[in-house]
Amino acid sequence: MAAERMFVLNNLTKIYGEMKALSSLSLVVEKGETIALIGPSGAGKTTLLNLLANTIKPDEGTISVDGKPMQEYKSTKQFASKVGIIRQQFDLIGQLEVIHNVLAGRLKDWSFFKSMLSLVIPQEKNLAVNALDRVGLSNKVFEKAMNLSGGEQQRVALARILIQKPEAVLADEPVASLDPARAEDILYMLTKLAAEEQQTLIASLHSVSYAKKYFKRIIALKSGKVYFDLPAEEVTEELLSSLYYLEEDKRHE
Amino acid sequence: MNKRNLLFLFLIIIFAFSLGAVQWKEGLLHAGGISTLVQMLKSIFQPDLSWSTLQLAFESLWLTLAYAVAGISIALVIAFIFGILASGILASSPFGTWLSFGVFRGILGFMRAIHELIWAWLFVAAIGLSPFAAIFALAIAYGGALGRVFADILKDVPKEPIDALKSSGASKLQILLYGYLPATASNLLSYAMYRFECALRSSAIMSFVGLGGLGYQIQLSLSELRYNEVWTYMFFLIVLVWAVDCWSSLLRNRLDKPNKSKLNFINISAVAAVSLIVATWLYMFVAENADIFTLFSAKNAAHGQKFIASLLGIGETNPAFLSAGSWKNALRLSYETLMISIIAIGFSSIGMLLTVIPAARNAAEGTLTLSRKWYNWLVFGMIRCIYIFSRSVPELVWAMLIVYILKPGILAGALALAFHNFGILGKLSAEVVEDLDLRPVRNLASSGATSSQLLLYGVLPSVLPKFITYILYRWEVIIRTTIVVGFVGAGGLGQQFKLSMSWFHYTDVTLILICYLLLVGMVDLLSEGCRRLIK
Repeated sequence: MAAERMFVLNNLTKIYGEMKALSSLSLVVEKGETIALIGPSGAGKTTLLNLLANTIKPDEGTISVDGKPMQEYKSTKQFASKVGIIRQQFDLIGQLEVIHNVLAGRLKDWSFFKSMLSLVIPQEKNLAVNALDRVGLSNKVFEKAMNLSGGEQQRVALARILIQKPEAVLADEPVASLDPARAEDILYMLTKLAAEEQQTLIASLHSVSYAKKYFKRIIALKSGKVYFDLPAEEVTEELLSSLYYLEEDKRHE
Repeated sequence: MNKRNLLFLFLIIIFAFSLGAVQWKEGLLHAGGISTLVQMLKSIFQPDLSWSTLQLAFESLWLTLAYAVAGISIALVIAFIFGILASGILASSPFGTWLSFGVFRGILGFMRAIHELIWAWLFVAAIGLSPFAAIFALAIAYGGALGRVFADILKDVPKEPIDALKSSGASKLQILLYGYLPATASNLLSYAMYRFECALRSSAIMSFVGLGGLGYQIQLSLSELRYNEVWTYMFFLIVLVWAVDCWSSLLRNRLDKPNKSKLNFINISAVAAVSLIVATWLYMFVAENADIFTLFSAKNAAHGQKFIASLLGIGETNPAFLSAGSWKNALRLSYETLMISIIAIGFSSIGMLLTVIPAARNAAEGTLTLSRKWYNWLVFGMIRCIYIFSRSVPELVWAMLIVYILKPGILAGALALAFHNFGILGKLSAEVVEDLDLRPVRNLASSGATSSQLLLYGVLPSVLPKFITYILYRWEVIIRTTIVVGFVGAGGLGQQFKLSMSWFHYTDVTLILICYLLLVGMVDLLSEGCRRLIK
């Protein structure tokens, strides 16, 4: 059924100058899937996520989101209830208090005056406090975001996504700047929340072991193409070493 | 020789050349110039502290403060709106970007290109003598300057959080509220505070178009040769400027640090600022009886229209800006104005270079040159006091004093500008030395360099490019002010502007303003080019 498909990618090509970041890539993502994107640097992971997030346009090919072609989403507000994004860091306004950073997830539904008023008297405060509670930050509601640690900031970004309530969440290197313990913590939370909210989750990751541990499906990209696309348990050491090894080889040519 | 050294050499040659514009031989001093100077200097130490003078000084202090606050509060509104429009952050189409960069930046540039005193004079000519002439003049000139910087600050906000807001579906205005404004608030505030300090000095010289305040009293006492009183008012002005300077630097320090308590310096400052603004406007409407509605009366409108028509030369058979002779004269005066500005920046740079090292805190502590002398702190304190003194007194006031000693002319104007900018350059450059990375210096010291060798090899090479940047930046400011010191007879376009205004030769005024804008634009381009060479 088409309605069960979150993303359908058909022959996507994206070219930067001389370099093909993606070449004729086709993919189908069902609703509720959790997918890890892996592959060496420059393989096209970020390009793919940016295409899905509608922040860049493909040079060739089409994307449909929830059964509807990308270009039919006229406003960013409309698109924001379909797809939400978390980047590796820097997503927050440091000078703003945590609660407002979280409530920014509601801006798509708020009028200008409501959003202005909210900066003085937080609107729908319970929603934000609830979300912060779920990510374990209920004690930092009125802290300035810049005074939080990297892991805590990433949890605030999660809380924002929670109240934005998109149907799919894209995460671009969500744990790249965190130490291993914090990284596992964030990934655990990210996948758990996505499951609770029945969201589709696509995350790009550097670490293969995290990908295998927290995600059901793994898509490996190399030189802008799908290298393999398998359920997590079928990904073998041989496949992985050839994924990363061949790239090294090419560089020496 | 590399590009940078060539530039240094080039700048020095230009300065030497500009000195040739001064007529050294004809005698620069007034007949009684020296004795006037001695009298003036003596009375520094005996300011008039009689009750009546002090009372007057306090009243004038309030007036100066009130005009500055009123002017800067309107300027902030202008800067906020135009700054946002000119930053391009709201633009979503190529046309919008063109509009924000071409049109709004242009408007801001025009507003700030013309000195506030010129604006004031034009307003007085158009609507008559009213506090609003000064307030609007300050508002326009400072609105332009602040707006331009606001636009740049807004444009430099990191992209990532903004993109994140965009992807969570926030509209342009919501992104402004939740992204740009909170991210830049403390920067905008620090810059506004810095500009407020400048506005105080500008407010003091509004006396020149006939408005009260400390400048007015200084002018009055000077004309009656009561130097002791002059210094009383001067010290009041210096203390006022210094107090605001301290307030703003304290605030800047606090803004950078996180603070949780409710009763902190930032909140107290905010309350103080708001009460000051409210008090000022109440005073303007109640005590000064400045009625904003009479300002927009039919009579004033007709008057203003007539004034603009005569500026444009409507009905004039031979407007000055169409006559070759007038152009020739105006271009000669522009050249003279340019020379004044170069001599001025040259003198203030020399003064700064001679004093800056002992004026740096790390030199006084002995960490810079690794030599500690008992007198270091004494010299440090003295030079810093001179800096404050020199920069708190506006150029025009310096010029008023100097024309009592020197004959009016290029040198008098240049010295007035140099005295004021010496203090500013000194302060900025001393901060550069204080921020210097000291590790290379330590390294040199461990290979046996003496203190003076440390300065030559370790300190100067790393601070000079920054000094030059500041010097060029101040030159841009000086060229705008050169016209103002001309008002008291210090030559150049300013002197002619004053004469043409008082003879009602309005098309001459237009021509002078055209030349002035061209000159300002040219200097901006030159200075930007040089600064790019240094990078």
